[in-house]
Amino acid sequence: MTHLVVLDNEAVQALRDPGHPKHRHVVSQAQVVASRKRRAVAIQVVVPTAVRVEAGWDRTSPAWVFPNRLRIADSPLDTASANTAAGIRDRIGVSVADSHIGAVIQSASDGQITVVTSDPGDMRRVAGDKNIIVAAI
Amino acid sequence: MVVERISELLDDGEHETSNTSMRIPTALRDAATLAVKELGIASSATALTTTALRATLEAVVMQAALDDHYERHPQARPDLGDLAIAAAELDGHPLAGQPGRLRQAAVEIATNHPDASPDDVLLWAEARALPAA
Repeated sequence: MTHLVVLDNEAVQALRDPGHPKHRHVVSQAQVVASRKRRAVAIQVVVPTAVRVEAGWDRTSPAWVFPNRLRIADSPLDTASANTAAGIRDRIGVSVADSHIGAVIQSASDGQITVVTSDPGDMRRVAGDKNIIVAAI
Repeated sequence: MVVERISELLDDGEHETSNTSMRIPTALRDAATLAVKELGIASSATALTTTALRATLEAVVMQAALDDHYERHPQARPDLGDLAIAAAELDGHPLAGQPGRLRQAAVEIATNHPDASPDDVLLWAEARALPAA
């Protein structure tokens, strides 16, 4: 089963900006993922598209060339995800982006899920009953 | 440019397929067939091969991007302690909350094993945390 690594807004911001105080921290995590892929470990980094919107991550913009090259997949806000996210937002009152993270977590298969986040509390809330690992940055 | 082209091709998806003729060791082919048939690790030997090839190419692309980034921004290059902490965090390892202990273990292990991996550091830090018999 694939180990899913989900990025939140601050993780994305930190990854993009070499001057961000948490840049090296998030780059370290990307390096570990790359090394594991090299050893044929099933691991995938994803960014919910609502998080991309919140972070201003335009894949066509030169400002985002480094994150674009790290094979971070979009997790789209499709019909099913939007329904789940809307339910989470209605119940908990978190942001649209965090609600989408919750939808990604809740719809994921039974493999390991890690969320790289600056807000561990909200991530545990949006995960609901799903068991997640929170990598706090 | 080559790396970017590989990345674009990886993004193109798997809808269009091609027959290909690759010579691979017979024993490896038979092992893959057996693993698929008896262990159900993939839907077919072709799917298994494709997944493994994709993962390897993704790793190559990622590492090239990271290496280029380290060249432009040397301060972003993680040391062994950083990587051990990151590995612990991604796995929810109990020592993830003790970065000081992991950094100390990284310094100790790197003295005698300069090629140590982050997982080696975690193992060493765990061993150091055990009470002496």
